Amino acid sequence: MTAGTSEKEAAGQLLDNLYLDMFHLIEEHTQCRVNLERSNASGAILLARTRFQHGGSNSVSTAQIPTENSAEFNALCRVVDSEDGICVERQAVDKSKGYVEPLHWFSVLPPMSLRHAVSKFKDCIELVAESTNLQRQLGEALDWIAKLRQIALLN
Amino acid sequence: MALHSAIKGKLISVIGDEDTCVGFLLGGVGEINKNRHPNFMVVDKNTAVSELEDCFKRFLKRDDIDIILINQNCAELIRHVIDAHTSPVPAVLEIPSKDHPYDASKDSILRRARGMFNPEDLVR
Repeated sequence: MTAGTSEKEAAGQLLDNLYLDMFHLIEEHTQCRVNLERSNASGAILLARTRFQHGGSNSVSTAQIPTENSAEFNALCRVVDSEDGICVERQAVDKSKGYVEPLHWFSVLPPMSLRHAVSKFKDCIELVAESTNLQRQLGEALDWIAKLRQIALLN
Repeated sequence: MALHSAIKGKLISVIGDEDTCVGFLLGGVGEINKNRHPNFMVVDKNTAVSELEDCFKRFLKRDDIDIILINQNCAELIRHVIDAHTSPVPAVLEIPSKDHPYDASKDSILRRARGMFNPEDLVR
């Protein structure tokens, strides 16, 4: 009886800790998305400025990005597993190995605003990796909470 | 040309409006593999929901993709498919777009977290 009560208490304690973790993760997750939104919006404004300076809405558009009929190329940035979850790893531009410079799809001599836009979107990619780690941790916490609650309901 | 052999790491794929795709591609996430399959899809007002759903499912099946970025307004169109995907890999991230700010109440993972506080469950 005592052992059963102490087990229940321990499960309750664990559930409390998991809920607390969940709240912290939700807060961090939301903050990360807000930062992502801010960075994304800054990048979009810089893209708009580039279009305005070039005097046409098609100067930076989907018309310039590669399609299924384009030659194959590799992504310059990929995510790799590390001790603290995933992190972004970048490759240097090397045409012979298939790593092409995306800026050159839009212009041979890219304007400063487009270069600034690139740095904003690179920040976005870092935030995406951070957000993914938080989302996975949150998902894990939610799974544990669901499991513990199910056990508590069965007892 | 075997450009893709022995590449470390996994891809980030993008489904979104023009600015989102152009932006992330400028950041270097874009790739077209040897089968001519891109890891991005530009969604505009003429894109059919079925097309969007097919693309999302295709990205889910690809084992070289670790993260799927999707504009939240596009995610709303295929919410049932996104909610059905509960596996952590690939992670589905709903991101804001230029015209649609981020709404935490629509995010799948946060809706799941909110479900933990169902008043009916708390009474039991």
